[in-house]
Amino acid sequence: MKVKLTRASQRDEHTLAGAYAMDAISAADRERFERHLAGCEECAQEIASLRETTAVLASATAEPLPAGLKERIMAAAAVTRQQPPADETEPVPLAHGKWARTGTWFRSLAWPGRLTLAAGAAAAAAVVAAAVVFGVSNGSMQQQLDQAQASSQQIAVVLTAQDAHMTTGTVAGGGTATIVMSHSRHALVFTAQGLHALPASRGYELWLTGPAGTRSAGMLRAGSHGMTGPVIASGLRPGDHLALTDEPADGSAHPTTSMMLDVAL
Amino acid sequence: MATGSQEPRNPARSASAAGPGRDLAAQIGLVARGDSAAFDAVFEQIGPSVFGVVKRVIRDPAQSEEVTQEVMLEVWRTAAKFDAGRGSATAWVMTLAHRRAVDRVRSVQKESERERRIAAPDIPYDEVSEAVESSLERERVRRCLNSLTEVQRESVTLAYYRGYTYGQVASLLGVPTGTVKTRMRDALIRLRDCLGVAQ
Repeated sequence: MKVKLTRASQRDEHTLAGAYAMDAISAADRERFERHLAGCEECAQEIASLRETTAVLASATAEPLPAGLKERIMAAAAVTRQQPPADETEPVPLAHGKWARTGTWFRSLAWPGRLTLAAGAAAAAAVVAAAVVFGVSNGSMQQQLDQAQASSQQIAVVLTAQDAHMTTGTVAGGGTATIVMSHSRHALVFTAQGLHALPASRGYELWLTGPAGTRSAGMLRAGSHGMTGPVIASGLRPGDHLALTDEPADGSAHPTTSMMLDVAL
Repeated sequence: MATGSQEPRNPARSASAAGPGRDLAAQIGLVARGDSAAFDAVFEQIGPSVFGVVKRVIRDPAQSEEVTQEVMLEVWRTAAKFDAGRGSATAWVMTLAHRRAVDRVRSVQKESERERRIAAPDIPYDEVSEAVESSLERERVRRCLNSLTEVQRESVTLAYYRGYTYGQVASLLGVPTGTVKTRMRDALIRLRDCLGVAQ
């Protein structure tokens, strides 16, 4: 029974190739189709050629990047650990054998979860380093820096700036925020402690607001020991304030709740 | 850049693709080694397309910036996983970009169907000819889209540029889902041939 169905269902599965290549399928369909691909090299090749085609559709939409976006992303990359390549001296685990043979790079897209914003993927080491830096606010900054620099170049860039200075703020509803900013670097490093825990569907969003308008500076990420961040916000302009609001976990385009923190920068 | 190095397994070095895509693959090979200048070069080359396609699907500029950031950071993080033997670097990045844009739109839809923004009405328009500036790429894509049948063209634009599922496309067009699935595949194959995409 099962064997009889295989051919027909395989053919049926394969008509999904176009919808799959355009991401026009549900998550469940996507998974099923990827299982189908794993056993069909020909299908994987067709998908690859259709992906080249949709890439041209994408390229036709190119438009100039908004000011500051590239700089923000480069700064976030500087504190984001990269995944290592496969180790060629390690035997390929059985479960991956099939992937390695017929595998295509787009399969890596099936990884669950979403990269969090801003410095979301920053190495845990950076959090520790920042905690060290911020934990001793009136100690020797330079001394702490040596440790921060090792794990977080970008934090160091802000902290080593000639005009770097630190300020703290009290968060309405509980918690304190520590901000180290550099106007010459147009950036700041934010971290907070003792924030009220939010339900999983909500998150703290950081904003830069001032004459240049209100811009999201990213979502805060829960760290260890009640510490949040660090978040690096770039694109700092004269007259900006730093604000914090409670938003849906995905973030909002504009603040939708009242400011829980307002620090003049 | 040393191109003659002895790294037979490094896909970036043995990329067979010609043209600017080859440079991109090589740059991504360097990004995998943590080269931020190469990441900058990748950005210059592909950033506008990433932002463009993400914004085409999401529409909201602020959210589009966020998703562009997610995509580019994923390129940074996973550059070592890129395998040039399995497709071009452009296709790798664009696939990441489109999928993340679509995932964002769908998670938002699910989360707050009722909180639909009043400020951003969903006005249908010609997705590709919308852009005032013309480029050869745009022109080529428009010409090839126009060579499709109407159902094929609608299926592609609604799915790819709007981020709809084939089920949603089927109900919008009033066509059985089986038909839409087939049309989507036929359409992409025709586009592939029309655009002269290497297979």
